[in-house]
This record gives sequence, structure tokens and C-alpha cells, in this order.
Amino acid sequence: MANINVHVETGQDNIAPSMQPLAPPKSVDSQSVLRRLQSELMALMMSGDSGISAFPEEDNILCWKGTITGSKDTVFEGTEYKLSLIFPNEYPFKAPKVKFDTTCFHPNVDMHGNICLDILQDKWSSAYDVRTILLSIQSLLGEPNISSPLNQQAAQLWNNQEEYRKMVEKLYKFPAA
Amino acid sequence: MEDSHSSLFNLGILDTVTEDQLHEILHSYNAFCNATQSLLLLGSAGDISFGAEFISHVHTLCKHGLESLVCDHFLKVLEETFQRNGASRFWRHFVPYAGLNENDDIDIDEDEIDSVLCNALEQISLEKQSQEKCLLILVQALQSFKDHMLEAETNYVTSKYQWIVSSVLMATLPPVFPAILRSYFKRRLEELHTTIDGEFADDIPLSKVAMDLDEKVKVCNNDGEMDVDVCYSDRRCSENSKMVNNIGKVVLDLKSLGFTSMAEDAYASAIFLLLKAKVYDLAGDDFRSSVLQSIQSWIQAVPLQFVHALLVYLDSVSYEITSSGLKSTLALKPSSCCPGIDTPSESLVRWKLRLEYFAYETLQDLRIAKLFEIIVDYPESSPAIEDLKLCLEYTGQHSKLVESFISSLRYRLLTAGASTNDILHQFVSTIKALRTIDPAGVFLEAVGEPIRDYLRGRRDTIKCIVTMLTDGTSGNSSASGNLGDSLLEELNRDEEVQEIFGIDDDFNTDDRQAWINATRRWQPDPVDVDPLKGSRNRRKVNILGMIVGIIGSKDHLVQEYQTMLAEKLLNKSDYDIDSELHTLELLKIHFGENSLQKCEIMLNDLIGSKRVNTNIKATISQPPQTSVVVEDDAISMDKIASTIISSNFWPPIQDEPLNLPEPVDQLLSDYAKRFTEIKTPRKLQWKKCLGTVKLELQFEDRVMQFTVTPVLASMIMKFQDQTSWTSKNLAAAIGIPVDVLIRRINFWINKGVIEESTGAESSDHVYTIVEKMAETSNNGVGSGNTQDLLGDDEVEDRSRASVENQLRMEMTVCEKFILGMLKNNGSMTLDRIENMLKILCVADKSLQQLQSFLSCLVSEEKLELRDGMYILK
Repeated sequence: MANINVHVETGQDNIAPSMQPLAPPKSVDSQSVLRRLQSELMALMMSGDSGISAFPEEDNILCWKGTITGSKDTVFEGTEYKLSLIFPNEYPFKAPKVKFDTTCFHPNVDMHGNICLDILQDKWSSAYDVRTILLSIQSLLGEPNISSPLNQQAAQLWNNQEEYRKMVEKLYKFPAA
Repeated sequence: MEDSHSSLFNLGILDTVTEDQLHEILHSYNAFCNATQSLLLLGSAGDISFGAEFISHVHTLCKHGLESLVCDHFLKVLEETFQRNGASRFWRHFVPYAGLNENDDIDIDEDEIDSVLCNALEQISLEKQSQEKCLLILVQALQSFKDHMLEAETNYVTSKYQWIVSSVLMATLPPVFPAILRSYFKRRLEELHTTIDGEFADDIPLSKVAMDLDEKVKVCNNDGEMDVDVCYSDRRCSENSKMVNNIGKVVLDLKSLGFTSMAEDAYASAIFLLLKAKVYDLAGDDFRSSVLQSIQSWIQAVPLQFVHALLVYLDSVSYEITSSGLKSTLALKPSSCCPGIDTPSESLVRWKLRLEYFAYETLQDLRIAKLFEIIVDYPESSPAIEDLKLCLEYTGQHSKLVESFISSLRYRLLTAGASTNDILHQFVSTIKALRTIDPAGVFLEAVGEPIRDYLRGRRDTIKCIVTMLTDGTSGNSSASGNLGDSLLEELNRDEEVQEIFGIDDDFNTDDRQAWINATRRWQPDPVDVDPLKGSRNRRKVNILGMIVGIIGSKDHLVQEYQTMLAEKLLNKSDYDIDSELHTLELLKIHFGENSLQKCEIMLNDLIGSKRVNTNIKATISQPPQTSVVVEDDAISMDKIASTIISSNFWPPIQDEPLNLPEPVDQLLSDYAKRFTEIKTPRKLQWKKCLGTVKLELQFEDRVMQFTVTPVLASMIMKFQDQTSWTSKNLAAAIGIPVDVLIRRINFWINKGVIEESTGAESSDHVYTIVEKMAETSNNGVGSGNTQDLLGDDEVEDRSRASVENQLRMEMTVCEKFILGMLKNNGSMTLDRIENMLKILCVADKSLQQLQSFLSCLVSEEKLELRDGMYILK
């Protein structure tokens, strides 16, 4: 004789929708930016992606520092680049400003560290987040867009990978250890 | 020679001295010396003619202005005689006891010492009296020469003699004498005590009757006045007067010999020793009754009585002497401590205060030393606490209490052997007990600190606290069984009582009166309060606040409660949540509605579940064909009761995969379908591993009933079709890992339902159902006690796992954040790391906790600490 009573979970039964993924409201308050960045940070920290990392700088959660290591089997292998990410108050509806702090010899990065990457400009979408930005930049290192270079010298040298590697090593400053 | 003598004293006279006069002086002086010698040898017993001769010589010498010579010589001879006849003889009595040291136990016959002391004193007193008589003759001689001899001069001579006596004795004092005195007084007092105590014991029950505190104090104050004479002296003075008089005589003798302070020391120390013994005797290890009152009455009855009698005796003697004239100056001069008739009361008051202070201090020390035990049986031991409170009010040695209590806490409670529950209970008792002594909570702060710090280091503290707070009589039996009521409930009652009093106070009196009351009630912080600890503003000791303080924040507490509540609710087989609702309401009062919102939703889920469940069953009962046929029994949907939860508001629930038996699974999906029909667009997702199953197992020879988890039920159901399973196959059939299966199936093995044997492969176990109890005679378990709740250890396992998981989770998050932070921002100080974590609301940790965590990471070689900056390795 089995009298069974089993406990059940429903998706939502009688709950407020506050825990829903953000359905973009038109007017954004700074509170929601903070919350979004906080959850992105949490996700980034817990994701355990090697080679990319970022963290808010000082007390301002809108300013982050990022770190990217060059992927294996590219000329950038063994390097580590610092970036700064500045999030606008309208984030995630506007793209953050991302630039290299460490000098990076790369066709799509100029001498000031500015990056030419479509998703950081016109192709930005609120679906992107810090993690995807950093991953995109990491893959950009290995696969530059030669057709619209910011650094002509780098673009020209790209075809000669050995020479390029030497250039990267020459310009690369090891992070102060 | 005489010339030189006199020239020393009176140079002016020297010129006028004639030959005749010189002869006369020489003759008189020689005669005077001889007379003095013989006078002292014979004592005052010399005949009067002899005395007259002496007087005439004195007169002759005085005539020539040689009074001082006369006095000095006389006193010098007196001193020599006293040294020879008095002092050395006196001390010779005590030579046999010279080996007797103050610290050694007295093993010589004490009676003998006493009698020796009395005899010696008598002897030396006689000697002294006779010398005094001689001195009196001299004084009279001087007086008769000079009618108007000043009293000061007489006094000079007598006091000089007194000085001589005491200095001679003091100079030759053997070290053993004070000890002899003390032992004498001690024995006398003990004798007196036994006689008085006999009568006192008859009175005690009357005074011991439990009284209100106020009354008690009042009585003390009344007793404090000088009605000793009225109460006791009439009855007892006469009975014990002989003994007191004996003692008084000894004291008097000692005083006259110049041992005033030594005698006082001796009988004071004897009294204090006796008092101490009495306090120890009365107080002992019984904390259930107040002893202060009886100690006080005892002080009134015995030592004060003794002191009173003694003082009265000394006083009456000295009074007699005073009235007898000249002699008095001799006896009284050094013993000036009781010069008037009115003074007994004054010195008696002083004695009373001294004794009481001593008694309070002794009792206080005694109680402080045992404070730990007292607090262990706190509610019963409250009389002892009240005593201690009064004592401390008197002595003001609160810091002693704090120090000693903290050290005993460290030694006895805050050890690995004590269970967290016990520590918490002791903590609560401590709070309650010390609240009585120190309503401002200043000392509590100091005492509570080590307990709090220690508890923070324990992992199960939160769980125990929450259990203690919320689990009342209705709670499950595994938790604190000795606690009748939940602490929260008790706290609430306390508060209500306080409020009622508060209202009463302010209701009946107008504002001005209330203000006056308030000012009267105000007490300054005790002197030894550490200004760094505890603010003056916090006036009321908040037990709950102190307990929450252990955890750090109320959020943690609420979170833990939520976890426990979830567990409790999920294990319920009915929808009865009255007690949980009650607890929640109590929690709300203390922690606010907002923080407990989730818990409220959880309870609402249960109420909702009940409704939905009834609805679904109502729709099912119309088409009866839905019941599924299993063998010859049918499981109808009536048997299912579901708990439908809004998972966002519940703590994370582990979902382990589990294959339920086919018919049950079918039933559940039918149920889910019904639910969707009623509650579209919502869908039911079963958490199959949760819940409870009531089972009845029928064997060939017995029937057993169980209430188990679904996993166990699925397991045993598999044996319905097949009596023997290998562990691999069974695990696969149920859909759980083999190691989990092996662990869980122990439940059935322990119940004697299943038998285990090794299979073909060594790693494989074979389980067989035990159909007949008789076959497994060694397994006599289980047939009798059929009803059993879920495997207890399993529940423990799970809940503990969840707490541990949570902790580990928190730690990994914290570690990842710290590593990320340092990777991107370079080196950081401890403060900055803490600040960052706080801003990001990652971990609620104290600076110390964070520091120890960081040093863990350093030791794991993940970080490096350089000049106070943490750097990634």
C-alpha cells in the first residue's frame, strides 16, 4: 500500500517577477546598471574562463580593469594585456568604452590603445556583456581585421608571423612582477 | 660623681651648695637608693615606717631640687626589676612552645597553652601591680612634698613606667607569642560560638523565612541599629558572661602590658576566621537558597554579641577604675580605645561594619569562584545570584567577578568537548543571571565577548541558535530536548511583562512623578567600566541582540531559519503549519516583516498547496478510472499530497535524479496534467527525490510499516518483482549512483528487510529480500518497532551538507572575487579588499575573518603578502 506524497516545484506559482532576466525598460536608473554589472561580475568570476578577467576598479563600479592573455598558437601567446572598461549610465543599452592600457601591437589597435571592433561600436547589443566583450577582444588578437586597420605597420607585418612575433615581443612590456 | 650628676641637671644650684648640704644630699641619696632597692625587693608589703623613711629621703632630695634624679633612678631600678622578675619570667612560660610557628599546626595541647597563658598573664600582672604600688609610694612621696604637684607630672611618671613595661616586653618578645594569642582567642571564640550557636539555631528558621528583597534590606537596616543590647544581651550575656569576662580579663591584662594592638589583632583575626568558616559552612555549595540573611543574623548573634560583651566588660572595668581615682591613670592610659560610656555603640558599629564587609566579601569570593556552577543551574540558583548582587553592591568588586568568570569560562566551557548547544544555553543563562547583577549590561559585555568570539569559530553555531530560538515543544525531538519552550517565545513573554510594568509605572503617575522616578532609578555606570566597550546609551540588556551578535547579522540568522524551515516543511506529510506560522510571527516582531518575506511566501505556498491539492482531487474523484492498478492493489490519486513551492523564494533544493516506479511516475504525471488544467499556464515540475512515502511491506510472516524517502521506497519496490538485485543493476534501475545506493540501502539492511552478500565481482554487492524473519535469527531488529521516521542520520547528513555547501560556496565566491580583484587591480591592502567585497555585497565578513581567509590563501601560495599589500602569485 503506497501512500505517496511528493513535493513539487513549479516554474512560478505566486511570485513577483523581480527575479526575471531584465526585460529592457525604456528609462534606466543607475540602480539597474549597478545591479546588472554586479550580476555580470558574479557570472564572470564564477565562469572560470581562463585568459580573461575583469574587476571594478576602486569604489566606482562603472570603471573596470580587465586582463586578457594571448591565446595559444597565436603570435600573442604568453602575453598579458591590461584593459580599461568604462560603462555608461545607459549600459547595457550603450556599449562600454574599452581600450588597451598596455601597448598592443595589433592591426586594429592604435597607439593609444583604442580598439576598432564592430561590437563595441555600431554592432553593440544589450545581449553582450563583459565576458563576451573580453572574449571577442581575445579572439580579435589572433584574428585581426586587416581590411580596416588602425595600425598600418601591424597590418602590413601580419603576413609575416615570425617577424610579427618579434615585434610583439619587442614592444611588449612584461607586467611589473 | 654626684656633683657631676647634679651639675648635669642644675648648674645654677651648684654654686650655692655647701659642704653640709653636700653631705646631706649624699647621705640621703645613698639611703634613697637602698630604700628603693629594698622597697622593690619587698614589694609594697614593706612596713609603713620603712615607707616613712623612704618618703623623708625623697623629701630631702627634692628639697635640693633633685626630683628628676629621684624619678629617674627609681624608674631605672623598676625597669631592671621588671626585666628580671617580670618579663623574663613571663616569657619563660612560653619557651616550650617556641618551636610553634604561625603556620604550623598546633599539635601541643591547646588547653595547656591556654592555661599557661592565663597563669603567665596573672603572674606578670601581679608583678606589675606590686611595682605600680611601689611607684605609687614614690608618687605619694613626691606629692606630699609638693602639695600642688601637677597632674601632668604624675602622669609623666606613670606613663613613663607604662612605656618601660611595654618596651621591655616588646624587646624580648618571642616570635611565637602572637600565634599563641591567636590560638587562644580562636579557641575561646569557638567555645562561645558552640554555646551561642545552639540557641541561635533555634532562631534561625524564623529569620530564614523567604522574604521579599526589599523587606530583607529593611530588616537588615533595622538590625543594623544598636538593638543588640535589647535582643541578645539580656538573654545571653549572663550565660556567657563568665567566659566573656575571662576573655575580657586576658584582654585587659594584655592591654595593661602594652599589647593592645596585638591583642586586638589576635581576637579580630580569630573572629574573622570564625566568620569565614561560618560563611563557608552556611553558603557551601547550595545555590538554591539565600544565605545572606542568615549570615547577617549570625553576625548579630555570635561575633557581634561577643564583641559587645567584651567591650562592655572592658568598659565597665575601666569605668570602675576611673571612678577609683588615681589608679585609673595607670590602667587606662594605654588602652584609650574605649574612654567613655557612650563609645561602645560607636566602636560596636565600627565592628559591625567591619564584620559585615568581611562577610560580604567572603561570600562574594565564594560565589564568584562558583559562579560557573551557579549559572549552570541558573533559574534554580537565582537566590545565590541575588546574594551575590547584594554583596557586590556592598564591596564593588565587580571586576573580580568578570576576571574570574571569564577564566572559568575559558577553562570549562569554551573547549572542544562542550557542545555548541550547551555553550549557547550557558550563554543565555549567563545573560539572564548577570542581568540581575548588572542591569546596565556593562559586565555582561566583557563576559560575553569570549563566548561570542569562541562561538563564531564553530560551524554549527548558526544552526544551533536558530534551533534554540525557534524550536519549542512542537519541534522535532532531535533538537534541544531539555528546552521546554522556544527561546523566542520566552523572550517575548519577558518583553510583554516588561511592557506591562512600564505602562503601569507611567500610567498611575503624572509626568513629574515619572521623571522623579526615572532619576531615582538611574544609576551611573560602575567605576570599572571600560569606556571603549559598551555605550552608556544601551540601557537594556537585549538577549536576542547578543545572540544575533554572535552570528554577525540578522540576515544570516534569517537565512538559516529559511533553510531549516524549508527542510521542515518539505518533510511534512500534512499541511499543518500552525506552529511555524506562530514562530514566524514571533520572528517578525524581532526582525521585521521585510527580512522574513521569503519565509512567509514559503508558508503561503503550503497553504496554497493544500487548496490546489484538494481541487485536483475533487476533479479526479469524478472519473474513477484514473486509479492505476498495481498487482491487486490500486494506488489512487487520493493518496498523493503535493507541496507546490515557488522555487525562487525557497532555498536552493538539490535535485537528485531518481526513477520512480512506473505506476507512481504515471500517477505523478497525471497529477501534473490536472494541475496544468486547473492552473494554466503553469506547469508542475516534480522534485522526485523529495518528500516522504508511507509504506506497508507485507512479507510471508509479518507486516511492516515505514515512512521513508522516495529513494528508499523506490528501492524496496524493485524487490517486488525480483527478490535479489546486484548493486549495479539496482542502481541503474533506480537511476542513482552506485555509491549512493550502497549508502542508502543500509537503511533497509538495518531494518532486517534486505540482506547483503558479496556478488560475483568483489565490488558488486548482492541484495536479497528477507521474506521470513526466522531465517535471519541474528537480525532480530525491526519486527517490533514498525513505525520509523526517515533515516535520521540521512536527514542530518543532508542538512549538514547544505550548511557546509553554503559555506564552501561562499568561500569559493569570495576567493574568486579576491583573485579577480588582485589580478586586475594589482596589489591591494586588506582594508581595500574588505571595502571592495562590501561594496559588491559578496561576503559579509569581519575584517578578522577576511584576514584569516587571506592568510589561508597565502599559505596555499595563491597570494603573497608584501608590505601589507596582497599580491597575486
